[in-house]
Amino acid sequence: MAIGPRRVVVTGMGAVCPLGPDVAQTWAAARDGHGAIAPHLFDPGANGPAPHTTPAALVKGDIVGLAETTLGRRIGASLDPFALYALLTCHQALTQAGLLGAEVLKRRAAVVLGHGFAGIQTLELSYERFYGQKSARVHPLTVPRVMVSAPVSAVAMEFGIRGPVFAVSSACSSSGHAIAQAAALITSGQVDVAMAGGSEAIATPACLRAWEGLQAMSPTTCRPFSQGRDGMVIGEGGGTLVLEDLEHARARGAPIIAELTGIGLSSDAFHLTQPSLEGAVSAMTAACAQGGLLDGRTVLISAHGTGTPLNDANEAAAIHAVFKSNAKTQPVIATKSAHGHLIGAATVIQGVIGLMALQNAVAPPILNWLGQDPQCDLNLVLGPATKIEARSLLLNAFAFGGLNTALAFTLPE
Amino acid sequence: MAISDDELLDVIAQEALIDRAKLLRDATLEDIGLDSVDLVSVVFVIEEKYHVEIAEDAFAKTGNLGQFLDTLKAQIEKTKA
Repeated sequence: MAIGPRRVVVTGMGAVCPLGPDVAQTWAAARDGHGAIAPHLFDPGANGPAPHTTPAALVKGDIVGLAETTLGRRIGASLDPFALYALLTCHQALTQAGLLGAEVLKRRAAVVLGHGFAGIQTLELSYERFYGQKSARVHPLTVPRVMVSAPVSAVAMEFGIRGPVFAVSSACSSSGHAIAQAAALITSGQVDVAMAGGSEAIATPACLRAWEGLQAMSPTTCRPFSQGRDGMVIGEGGGTLVLEDLEHARARGAPIIAELTGIGLSSDAFHLTQPSLEGAVSAMTAACAQGGLLDGRTVLISAHGTGTPLNDANEAAAIHAVFKSNAKTQPVIATKSAHGHLIGAATVIQGVIGLMALQNAVAPPILNWLGQDPQCDLNLVLGPATKIEARSLLLNAFAFGGLNTALAFTLPE
Repeated sequence: MAISDDELLDVIAQEALIDRAKLLRDATLEDIGLDSVDLVSVVFVIEEKYHVEIAEDAFAKTGNLGQFLDTLKAQIEKTKA
């Protein structure tokens, strides 16, 4: 089955996240169970409250330097990290797709990226200056660094994309919606190629305190589907998929990573922070039915798996409702236990890892698991580099505010 | 005490995230790779640090970094006086 009048395939992937600065290193760390969550000290400075230590998963190294080396030009201070992640991952994805500098980018290409927030690091610095230092003059680049469309604009300028370019936002499902929207631009015939994904950089002293205020954060680590799980852990980074019309990809002889075969989008219309079973089942069922995933085949499920008591129990129930008698045999992975919750970039990073798992016939382990929770009776992948036979991936995301995306991918024949 | 070139160059390097070694007196804007967006940042930070007002095209008008530094220093001294 196809998602529309034109079939959509993935021909390139990019990732920058706490597990590594590219897809290969991200995959290797996930596969081998090398998690990146650790306690970090967050210091709000002289005008703020006392520094505090909390678990987080941070991108390592000099991101501006990496961007300058990768793109071969000065980047300077004009971009917030969430835009740098987008630039880097789009470059990686276009490189893999063999589309860097291609004519199609100028005429028939789109960029759709999702972000739950925006340039929060820049925003906090400007607030510190305004309210903390009581300076009426805010840095002149604050607006172009903060705006949620800064990453897509930077990507369009860097790679010469003159077609549809815009950002989407739906909290933890943002990059899922970005992929769905980019695919719709291809199936409707508006473009042949689209860069889709998202980025996030919100590990800042005040923003982390805001998350802690929700009572959803773990003081220890992220333990999806485990007994004793006590919340989520923030991560940062970005990811990009190059989506392409199947015939366009075939015509240029591009290697095809997978086909996007199913899209399920739904809203709970229920609660700001609590998930609903109905909303999750609705999105997953739509993606699975369209993608042909309910025919008894083995499906690798990349769970939303935040490690909160509510999400994981609800998601386990949804998997049972959708897969019924096959629910307990489908391998379930939850890589937020390794890279943290990247919010707007979570779905695409988990998509990259999930597609690498399909390609390699190996699933990455759920980390930090302490023991069975009867509410999460699933076929959890717990050992490193576990062999799997799945050729299809179901990629779940259930955002605060009840915004759900489920995407189905299948390896090419 | 007069402000040194080094002090101003440190500010430019830090604000524009530019390699300090590239900031030579005879370098032009183009040599350094500073664009108009970088310049807005640099001018803002120098104005804040030294309590002066600088026209944003001051660099472009002066041609090279050495002349720009001299213009800055003159304006800073004038403000102090």
